[in-house]
Amino acid sequence: MTQLVVQGLRLEYPAARGGAPFLALSDVDLAVEKGEFVTIVGPSGCGKSTMLMLIAALLRPTRGAVSLNGQPVAAPGPDRALVFQDFALLPWRNVLKNVELGLEMQGVAAAKRTDIARKNIDMVGLRAFERHYPHQLSGGMRQRVGIARALSVDPEVLLMDEPFGALDAQIRQVMGSELLHIWERDRKTILFVTHDIDEAIYLADRIVVMSASPGRVVQQIKVDLPRPRGLSIRTSAKFNEYRETLWNLLEEQVRQSGSWARGEGGA
Amino acid sequence: MGAFVNPRWLVGSAAVAAFLVVWQIVGANEIIRSDLVSYPTEIAASARELAASGELGANALATLREFAEGFAPAIVVGVLLGLGFALSKIVRNLFEPLFVAMYTAPLIAFVPLLVVWFGVGSTSKSVTTFLAAVVPIAINTTTGVRETQESWIRACRAFGATRAQIVAKAILPGALPVVMAGLRLAVGRAIVGVVAAEMYVSTLGVGRLIQTYSTAGRAAEIFVLVGVVAGFGFVCVGLLRVLENRLAPWRARA
Ligand SMILES: Nc1ncnc2c1ncn2[C@@H]1O[C@H](COP(=O)(O)OP(=O)(O)OP(=O)(O)O)[C@@H](O)[C@H]1O
Ligand SMILES: [Mg+2]
Repeated sequence: MTQLVVQGLRLEYPAARGGAPFLALSDVDLAVEKGEFVTIVGPSGCGKSTMLMLIAALLRPTRGAVSLNGQPVAAPGPDRALVFQDFALLPWRNVLKNVELGLEMQGVAAAKRTDIARKNIDMVGLRAFERHYPHQLSGGMRQRVGIARALSVDPEVLLMDEPFGALDAQIRQVMGSELLHIWERDRKTILFVTHDIDEAIYLADRIVVMSASPGRVVQQIKVDLPRPRGLSIRTSAKFNEYRETLWNLLEEQVRQSGSWARGEGGA
Repeated sequence: MGAFVNPRWLVGSAAVAAFLVVWQIVGANEIIRSDLVSYPTEIAASARELAASGELGANALATLREFAEGFAPAIVVGVLLGLGFALSKIVRNLFEPLFVAMYTAPLIAFVPLLVVWFGVGSTSKSVTTFLAAVVPIAINTTTGVRETQESWIRACRAFGATRAQIVAKAILPGALPVVMAGLRLAVGRAIVGVVAAEMYVSTLGVGRLIQTYSTAGRAAEIFVLVGVVAGFGFVCVGLLRVLENRLAPWRARA
């Protein structure tokens, strides 16, 4: 069943003083199935974050629309939850209170809030750290908090913007496989932006490749790898094929834009 | 080894002790006129006397009340104004130049006018306290709000926060450490303000006592009273620091 539809989405950022408006996204079309894990790759600055912000309704499209279960999306809401690359935790709140944030916005009663938050803190393996403050946690643990916070509002769609981008390669792989475990349990729809080609393949049912700025969808690749996937799948022949395909597609786009974010091209 | 006595404390205490001894000798032996510089044992005796007669208690209480009646509303108004400066262009354009001017202008010069407006009683002292405190509180609140990180607001917005929720859950707690620093600044300015106002004209208060004893040429009592005022400021700032460590553990650490 198609759950999330992005149709003819276009976004112009207003002009800086004296300049012309900046076209970040032009005519993006995308349909996402319920429970599908979609990863999004594309050259730096092609508008991936912009697209997630539009789906979250933190930005208004210049043209086009986003709809969820057939209903147009007009404002941020608990049916879509964001996980940010920079974690965006509140430093004065401990883990428990950070995870409760989204529930507070919805006016959930305190006792129930704590229950739900605890359940999700458990799920990301931070039970022993619920009284810790963000500055007392490692990067990987902080992002677990970000994920637990997003899961707590029980969203239909999880929007993840390079959630593991700030983590080193090893932690990144571990977090990826943990995320798959969580996803396999309740099969939430996930849109996951990444710069890491391996990560994009490893996680996805489908990979969306975006063009250089202004962003469009240039290709979608179905990933036919068996699940559940272990870390060893990365060395399989099939994985290698996907890697090559994706690499070529991206190289073409990157050559057009002349930049590949933070030198992460070599996956 | 040496875990019991921190050598820095030892040196510090020794210096203070040496100073007190020299002061005692110079004062008690009239090497310098003791009615001008007094000396430690005389000051201690005056302190006992002032306390025993109830003179100190009654006056200190009066000053404390004036201080509290000026400082408490200064916190409320200062924080609200500071929020206004940071969040509303209109409020900023209306009031900020005035505030910056007030921050640098000597408030003491206005005390005579405040007395004309609010009378010689405690009200003019509370108003002086208020004016002295409200400016650094408002300015620091503005700074604090301007320093709030975009990511805190973004997190709240993503979960559907209303404007009021963004202020309550991201902006105010984020600005709190800087607001607290403003309160500490404000305490110092407010104490100077209230004592100076009492010294100008009043019937009761520590400032009034200082005025009386200085006309009488009593250095010992003045030292006692200045010590009381300084002690009060020290305690206030200490309490604010404790509060800050409790409320903003993530910043206090840094
Ligand atoms: N608030 C803004 N005002 C003007 N231009 C913006 C704004 N935000 C982003 N842009 C521009 O829009 C384009 C797309 O930005 P976006 O952050 O969506 O890219 P991205 O694909 O997420 O890049 P990255 O991979 O580096 O995170 C960029 O060229 C960026 O400079
Ligand atoms: Mg981005």
